[in-house]
Amino acid sequence: MSALLAGIVLAPLLSAVLIGLLYMLNITQMPLSKRWFTLPALFAPFLSFCFGVIAFLEVANSGTALHFEPYLWLSVGEYKIYMGFLGDKLSLFMVLFITFVGWLIHLYATAYMSDDAGYGKFFFYFNLFLSSMLLLVLADGPLIMFIGWEGVGLCSYLLISFYFQDNSNVVAGNKAFIVNRVGDLGFLVGLAILFFYCGDAGFSYTTIAHHVASMPSSLLQIVGIALFIGAMGKSAQIPLYVWLPDAMAGPTPVSALIHAATMVTAGVYMVARFAFLYELIPNVGLFIAYIGAFSALFAAVIATKQSDIKKILAYSTMSQLGYMFIAVGLGAYSSALFHVFTHAFFKALLFMGAGAVIIALHHEQNIFKMGKMRRVTPVVYATMLMATLAISGIPPFAGFFSKDEILLVAFASGEYVIWGIAVCSAVLTAYYMFRLFFVVFEGKNALHVNHPHDVSWVMKAPLVVLALGSLLAGFTGLPSLLGGSHLIGSWLGEWGMRVISVSHETEWLLLGLNVAISLLGIGIAYQKFYGYDLSRHQEAKGIVYNKFYIDEIYDVLFVRSIRKLSEFIAVGLDVNIVDRVIMGLSHGFIKLGHVVALVQNANVRFYALIMMLGISVASCYLIWAVE
Amino acid sequence: MSIGILSIIIFLPMVVALALMVAPFSSRITRNAAFGVSLTIFALALYIYTHFELTGTIQFKEFYPWIKSYGISYSLGIDGFSLIILMLIATLIPSAYLLLWNNARSKSYWISMLFIQSGISGTLFSLDLFLFYFFWEAMLLPVFMIIGLFGSGNRVFSTLKITIYTIMGSLFMFVSILYLGVAHYYEFGVWSFALSDLVNITTIAREQKIFLFFGFMLAFAIKIPLFPFHSWLLQTYSNSPTGGVFLLSSIMAKLGVYALVRFMIPLFPDLFAQFSIYFVALGIFGLVYFGIAAICQMNIKKMFAYSSASHLGFITAGVFALNVQGMMGSAFLIVAHAIATGGLFLLVGVMERHLGIRSLSGLGGIATKAPWFTLFFAIMLFCTVGIPGTNGFVAELLIVLGIFHYNPYLGVLSALTVLVAASYMFWVFQKAVLVKSDNDVSNMKDLSLYEILGLLPLAVLIIAMGVYPDLFLYKIEPTLQHYLIDILHVGVK
Repeated sequence: MSALLAGIVLAPLLSAVLIGLLYMLNITQMPLSKRWFTLPALFAPFLSFCFGVIAFLEVANSGTALHFEPYLWLSVGEYKIYMGFLGDKLSLFMVLFITFVGWLIHLYATAYMSDDAGYGKFFFYFNLFLSSMLLLVLADGPLIMFIGWEGVGLCSYLLISFYFQDNSNVVAGNKAFIVNRVGDLGFLVGLAILFFYCGDAGFSYTTIAHHVASMPSSLLQIVGIALFIGAMGKSAQIPLYVWLPDAMAGPTPVSALIHAATMVTAGVYMVARFAFLYELIPNVGLFIAYIGAFSALFAAVIATKQSDIKKILAYSTMSQLGYMFIAVGLGAYSSALFHVFTHAFFKALLFMGAGAVIIALHHEQNIFKMGKMRRVTPVVYATMLMATLAISGIPPFAGFFSKDEILLVAFASGEYVIWGIAVCSAVLTAYYMFRLFFVVFEGKNALHVNHPHDVSWVMKAPLVVLALGSLLAGFTGLPSLLGGSHLIGSWLGEWGMRVISVSHETEWLLLGLNVAISLLGIGIAYQKFYGYDLSRHQEAKGIVYNKFYIDEIYDVLFVRSIRKLSEFIAVGLDVNIVDRVIMGLSHGFIKLGHVVALVQNANVRFYALIMMLGISVASCYLIWAVE
Repeated sequence: MSIGILSIIIFLPMVVALALMVAPFSSRITRNAAFGVSLTIFALALYIYTHFELTGTIQFKEFYPWIKSYGISYSLGIDGFSLIILMLIATLIPSAYLLLWNNARSKSYWISMLFIQSGISGTLFSLDLFLFYFFWEAMLLPVFMIIGLFGSGNRVFSTLKITIYTIMGSLFMFVSILYLGVAHYYEFGVWSFALSDLVNITTIAREQKIFLFFGFMLAFAIKIPLFPFHSWLLQTYSNSPTGGVFLLSSIMAKLGVYALVRFMIPLFPDLFAQFSIYFVALGIFGLVYFGIAAICQMNIKKMFAYSSASHLGFITAGVFALNVQGMMGSAFLIVAHAIATGGLFLLVGVMERHLGIRSLSGLGGIATKAPWFTLFFAIMLFCTVGIPGTNGFVAELLIVLGIFHYNPYLGVLSALTVLVAASYMFWVFQKAVLVKSDNDVSNMKDLSLYEILGLLPLAVLIIAMGVYPDLFLYKIEPTLQHYLIDILHVGVK
């Protein structure tokens, strides 16, 4: 039964290999019909989902986690690392929605990518990504997790630079990879320190959990921060977020799957996975919560001025991830994972809806060049509305419950600054999301260059399913206040709900406040953008529109300065000093040779003189020696 | 008395080369014969691999007196560390032949390649220092031939520079070897240059030992190369023909590291441990220094030359980390880097054949014209960058863990390896292969069947060793433990 865990990872992996080979065949030997790619591409995530459900039910029945160790991955000296899979409540919870949402996005992509020459390549990467993501989640130990961790980074790179003939796409891909690697540097350092305290008993989470208690607290803090730096990169938090907006260069299904629903939540998952470690170092947790809060606000502020539909969504992702980090930082892991869960539905839906609009408008991404899309695609309109309500935190949509829980945790923990920042971000979220919504679907006097058309049902059907998810997913975590039983919180067990020590009155008050602030944000957006006259739109300017010039600052600080340093080393040091010294030595020998050669000048009188001198000196010496 | 299998591996290419030199065969027949020889050697190496016992001892020993009056012997053998390098050479050289299949049309190119294979194997198997020195120098001669005859640019100057530079370094080693021989004679009354005898010398004072240590070290540091002895590298690599640069980067440079382990650890165990911190630091410095220098190179071969030096610095750091993780990682990175860099240089060779020698700014948009080329380029690149699922990742991970174990502060610095290669490799991939540009690359053709067959084993190895590293590691471990526990006295069982 536990071998199913490997099956969950292997199904998309094998399918990826198959698709990859078929694709190479396709472009070099003989053209294949698209069905060759579609079938395995859709079948593999579905199979993973089925395996996931079976494993989930098994764990639910037996109450114990599944372990599977097919082989000894690495054995060096006293350290042994198994290729280990762990199917516990947390990882299987993640598996279920990753495979489910992943499958829907695959389905959607078959339509979205249908006219693309790189159809096979796309699904090769997509399945490979899914496999890496599932490995990340199912790994039993940080080292195996790191394989998945880097694997998703690689797939993200490949998919961002999918249209690689265009320079800017590849630059965006490189940026994503290298910024993520900066995070991985931190992750690796944390891992290496852990390894030397906990490595000799195998390197699974269980053994690490046993050992961390005996580690010195200062070292634990370093480990905690180092691992979190990895999460900053992967989950796009300040200061390593810069890659995420640029990552929107990839095809839209990529943004939906990787840069919204799954990969970017890996950082949250990782911190939750290391809950046993972070519980020992609450001050690092607080640091994480603050980073999350600032990221949430910062991204929300930038999003209010952007005009590219996908970039707005990218910043909203960063902002929502900030909420998740607030929760994990404060030790409310199940609240964070609840938000990960609901976010996967509505954010995937938002991206896929945006993709549908983009396709309908022949690849137009500027919201101020859209408008009136309600008439063109009513299904997309309705589903997008539900997703927008969900992310804005309007009950009974999913985002409301999960966000409410996070805000409640922040308040109950007494972190009023974090709570305040989170509330401000919530207002902004409702505002910029409805700004987008009103402009795209209700904007007047739209200047459509091309004639918009509706999209196929293969694209719309997943939207409907996800819209239902956005409506219903929240009820899985219904708070006891509203008669719910925290299904997710109680399922997650040890990551479960913290006891919240606030009175029911306060809880009702906060709940009402959350709805009120969301409505406030929506109200402002309605005022400014409902029926917005697109023909009179002027492109925004200013520091917020330019994202606080962070990209430019990073460019000077890191990219250009390193190039300068590189030129200095390669030319200034290597050519002018190191090589010159070596060549100088050899030239010195040549010169010495010339000097010595002066003696051999074939001049008989000169030789006679030298002989005379020699004999004189020898004679003097002999006389002196005799005396 | 039968001839040992190691001797066959050394002399088969040499004998065939000599025969081909005098025989009036065309270059095609010469090539096919050379390829046949390399496959035979691969089969022999496979035999050794399967019959190699999991102990730390030296196996497949051969011993014949050579110059009796000075105790110089023809003494061969391999242990786990040389075994993996043997497997590496045996796998890489047939691949190189396949990649050069229609590239090199001259008979002397193939003959030189055969001689090089002999020299490399001899260097790898020698257990007598005099014999080792002989092969160490001999393997360079055919390399000079290849660069001097078939190179590009200022090839004669490059040849002279690498020749004089490396021979100068080797001379210091030679003096050290002679000193050890004399010391052995004074202490025991008999001449010997066998490694197993020289390690018993006790009479050399510490100060003299330090001189001897650095005499050896200089020769190896130039060959590897370590900072600041690398300035021959750029010109040599960029002016070499594909076969030459392939052999220099993926095999000969590794023999420098190999010799470091094989000879310096047993001969100077105390000094090796004592000076280790400087060499770990120097190695990490090289990793970063060469890595940064690579970023601004516009000549692909020069960039990969710096990249090579960067990785070799890291390999050296791992060797000096004095623990099994570091050494194992270095052994693994030797393999990973040899495959990846070798593969990349071979691919650059393919590109040069179609497009001529160009700087990065003259390339671009190859990917759509040559998908197989791009696929293999990407796999080699991922290995160089150390992406999980490739052997490069396992190797770098082990070295980082090893250096962490050795010294946590240096360990943090060594973790920079995850950034170094990524900072230029993705850029070169973008610039040269992926992005479309105005440059005319219409002459570019995709890999031929031979070339695909040559690169396929390398790609498979990269991934197999990354997915299931233990399958390849367990053969090396006893040897490394032997070095650490029995010789350096630093390891624990």
